[in-house]
Amino acid sequence: MIKQALVTGPLSPVMVQTTSGRGFTVDEIADRCMERLMLVSRDAPPVIRDQAVAFKDSMRQAVVYFMAEAVKSDRTSIYNILMNNGQPEAANLILKEL
Amino acid sequence: MAFTGDFLCTSFKTELLTATHDFTNGANSFKIALYDNSASFTAATTAYTATNEVSGTNYTATGQALTNVTPTSSGTTAFADFADITWSTATITARGAMIYNDTAAGDPAVCILDFTEDKTASAGDFTVVFPTADASNAIIRIA
Repeated sequence: MIKQALVTGPLSPVMVQTTSGRGFTVDEIADRCMERLMLVSRDAPPVIRDQAVAFKDSMRQAVVYFMAEAVKSDRTSIYNILMNNGQPEAANLILKEL
Repeated sequence: MAFTGDFLCTSFKTELLTATHDFTNGANSFKIALYDNSASFTAATTAYTATNEVSGTNYTATGQALTNVTPTSSGTTAFADFADITWSTATITARGAMIYNDTAAGDPAVCILDFTEDKTASAGDFTVVFPTADASNAIIRIA
């Protein structure tokens, strides 16, 4: 006799994040990224939980730093695309807005 | 009518047992389409529809393809996940979404997502963030 049914779990809600007149900041995306990378259980023993939270904070700083580097580097690429297509004003604006 | 909650479509559960869907990364293509609050989806919804789908700058009808993460398991629960998805530089207002299988015949629905309120991006980014991919929270779980 089968004692346990195979069931699909309840659907977990998604979260929607939006911006107006701008894109997401590095910090906003870093928060999302960290939720994907590491989940610290509230039920974990305090010593382990504190260590995990400290590690997560340290990882977040690294993520923020390297994402900001990626954004800056992409701006350089966009700057060159605009310059190479005869749009120096737009190219310079891209760098000023960073 | 309006969105009335999140639903894993009943037809999808049946289709799991008839091998209609393959969530392996690179196998079936799943898409997410956005809808306004005139959409009236329930667990009985069976397939993608363009009715009440949103329109706006940088939103293309039928929605965007999702990046599906190959299903895995933890303990006795198996789960599937998708990467977060963004409509960039978009002007959209949406109240909910449908995930459907764009590969399978008839574009069968997987689930209905209720954002609980209208979400708006204006010349900005519109991002759907999927829950943590684990046995307790992943978007699609079989326990």
